[in-house]
Amino acid sequence: MHRLARVFAAFAILCGLAFSPVLAEDDGLVVFAAASMKNALDEVDAAYTAKSGVKVAASYAASSTLAKQIEQGAPADIFLSADIDWMDYVATKKAIDVATRVNLLGNSIVLIAPKDAKIDQVTIGQGFDLAKLAGDGKIATGDVNSVPVGKYAKSALEKLGAWQAAAPKFAMAESVRAALALVARDEAVLGIVYSTDAKVEPGVKIVGTFPPDSHPAIIYPVAATVTAKPAAAGYLGFLRTSAAKAIFEKYGFKFLVSPTT
Amino acid sequence: MFDLTPTEWTAIALSLRVATVATLIGTPIGVALAWLLARRNFWGKSLLDAAIHLPLVLPPVVTGYLLLLSLGRRGFLGGWLADHLGIVFAFRWTGAALACGVMSFPLLVRPIRLSIEAVDRRLEQAAETLGAAPWQVFATVTLPLALPGVLAGMVLGFAKAIGEFGATITFVSNIPGETQTISSAIYSLIQTPDGDAAALRLVIVSVLIATSALVASEWFARRATKRLHGN
Amino acid sequence: MLRVDVSKQLGEFSLTASFTSEGRVTGLFGDSGAGKSSLINMIAGLLRPDRGIITLDGETLDDTAARIHVPAYRRRIGYVFQDARLFPHLNVAANLDYGRRMNRLADDPAQRQRITDLLDIGHLMDRRPGKLSGGERQRVALGRALLSNPRLLLLDEPLGALDAGRKHEILPYLVRLRDEANVPMVYVSHDAAELRQLATQIVMLQRGKVTSFGGVKVLSG
Repeated sequence: MHRLARVFAAFAILCGLAFSPVLAEDDGLVVFAAASMKNALDEVDAAYTAKSGVKVAASYAASSTLAKQIEQGAPADIFLSADIDWMDYVATKKAIDVATRVNLLGNSIVLIAPKDAKIDQVTIGQGFDLAKLAGDGKIATGDVNSVPVGKYAKSALEKLGAWQAAAPKFAMAESVRAALALVARDEAVLGIVYSTDAKVEPGVKIVGTFPPDSHPAIIYPVAATVTAKPAAAGYLGFLRTSAAKAIFEKYGFKFLVSPTT
Repeated sequence: MFDLTPTEWTAIALSLRVATVATLIGTPIGVALAWLLARRNFWGKSLLDAAIHLPLVLPPVVTGYLLLLSLGRRGFLGGWLADHLGIVFAFRWTGAALACGVMSFPLLVRPIRLSIEAVDRRLEQAAETLGAAPWQVFATVTLPLALPGVLAGMVLGFAKAIGEFGATITFVSNIPGETQTISSAIYSLIQTPDGDAAALRLVIVSVLIATSALVASEWFARRATKRLHGN
Repeated sequence: MLRVDVSKQLGEFSLTASFTSEGRVTGLFGDSGAGKSSLINMIAGLLRPDRGIITLDGETLDDTAARIHVPAYRRRIGYVFQDARLFPHLNVAANLDYGRRMNRLADDPAQRQRITDLLDIGHLMDRRPGKLSGGERQRVALGRALLSNPRLLLLDEPLGALDAGRKHEILPYLVRLRDEANVPMVYVSHDAAELRQLATQIVMLQRGKVTSFGGVKVLSG
């Protein structure tokens, strides 16, 4: 009987430990941001925390994934989407504070290949034959039905007349970063990602740039959610400062608003 | 090389907490159900058995999605819980614990049930003749003798809970500090340029935790068995 | 006083037994398969009769017509099994104390000493059942059943699993029990010699039916 009592005591202590506030909870901001934002936004968040003392936890995934999570009640304070469609989506679900919505950044899409690939510079224009370029290999990008980079890629290829032939060769990844990794690891011969992604991945090289008029403008809107903490306003303000601008531009993003100091 | 960043430490601490809570809460329920399945016959017994083992055969993402549908803030149960009891699971560490608990439950119950079945019913009969009511028989004879199985189930459940991914990321997503367990952290890291070193560190930590858990359970089980066989 | 009037279908034959047990040791005698174990399992409450009544000292333990069945743990009927069934995770002292704790009886060190001396098990207290000989196990089982303060003691071929030497060793203890322990016993055996030494009354069972009932003399018939 005494042995059982000792087991129960150990149990109780473990319960106490498990429920104790060992982990910091609820004292920072939660930002849901498009996967392509990772490197730039990590640096911006660090600068913000250094300046304001407010901690930021960022969850990166495809904007489509994040939008659905916000719709399901995920506790995000800020949503940074890689296209307008998904921001509109959460707006219709009444999940964001429309007054805070702003088109923050711009980007461009590029064609990439593994660093040591034989493929060299190509010109991407009308009649561009992507399928022939890919040969037997796969072309990696985000899911063309939902992930913003995939949607941009598909509309560009359709405009250029290259979609039909190339479609069967597509490897649809669940985010642009997953697609980037596929190319960097030589699992795909080509990929379509943002120019900002190609910049941070040494394992890939840019072999072509899509003409900006071949697809809808790539715009990254940002907004606070309806459940946002008060500190969100300060964070949104920081994103518009010239300090933040410098960081975003360093990574290759276009800054679309007039910077405040 | 073995400097873990704060993000990595957070993921490890969260995984340990989630798996511990999942196991501590799952065990009493698992013992009760294992006893029911081992010692009683009733209408719907095979349905109960099937339901318990469902998470083992369903795709983890399906289990996670079902949890989201029922216990998400807009789910039929989740909404009620949040409004009336202030309990929120979706996108919280509590939800991660629930997802891990559900996924590891079949692995927890099975060894416990087997070890209860292995307890000689004649000993339980002897206890009855000595005046022990059914709950006393359970507490003083069945459970002590089934203890190695209970410990084995707990450790197996714990190891599974630490490693759970599909249901967790579907139900509670991947929020650092809240729901980013070791598995989700590794998942994010392998998509980050230069993330491979960090991912590898976490992989090693995960293997270490799992191995220690198994070694500990072996030790417990052997000690318990020695006592049971009157040595 | 124990009154038994039951019937139960056991595989291919049916068991029908009706007798009263008065006096110190009622021997239940018959071949293996005659239904003896089933009968005392019904008296203990571990098995339910298909039909019938069992009463002990006026209290109804089983009455199928009135749908009464007192569960085993409430009958205060001790049981010594042929295979001892000591709890392997408890030492001898804890095994002996088990019945007292379950029945929430006050600690009676004098009685414990008496029975321990009666059965010569005082030196075994710290041992685990796994480290006892067959004879020692059976004596501890006897002590365990007695220390639960039963109003009736059932013994199912307690010497059945022992060799001749052990039997000779334990029989005297049983005789002492009969004479000094003050608890009526129902003793199951297929060994007439054992019963001649111990029993004060015999119930003979053949293929599920009571064929004789009376003093020890019926064993010679």
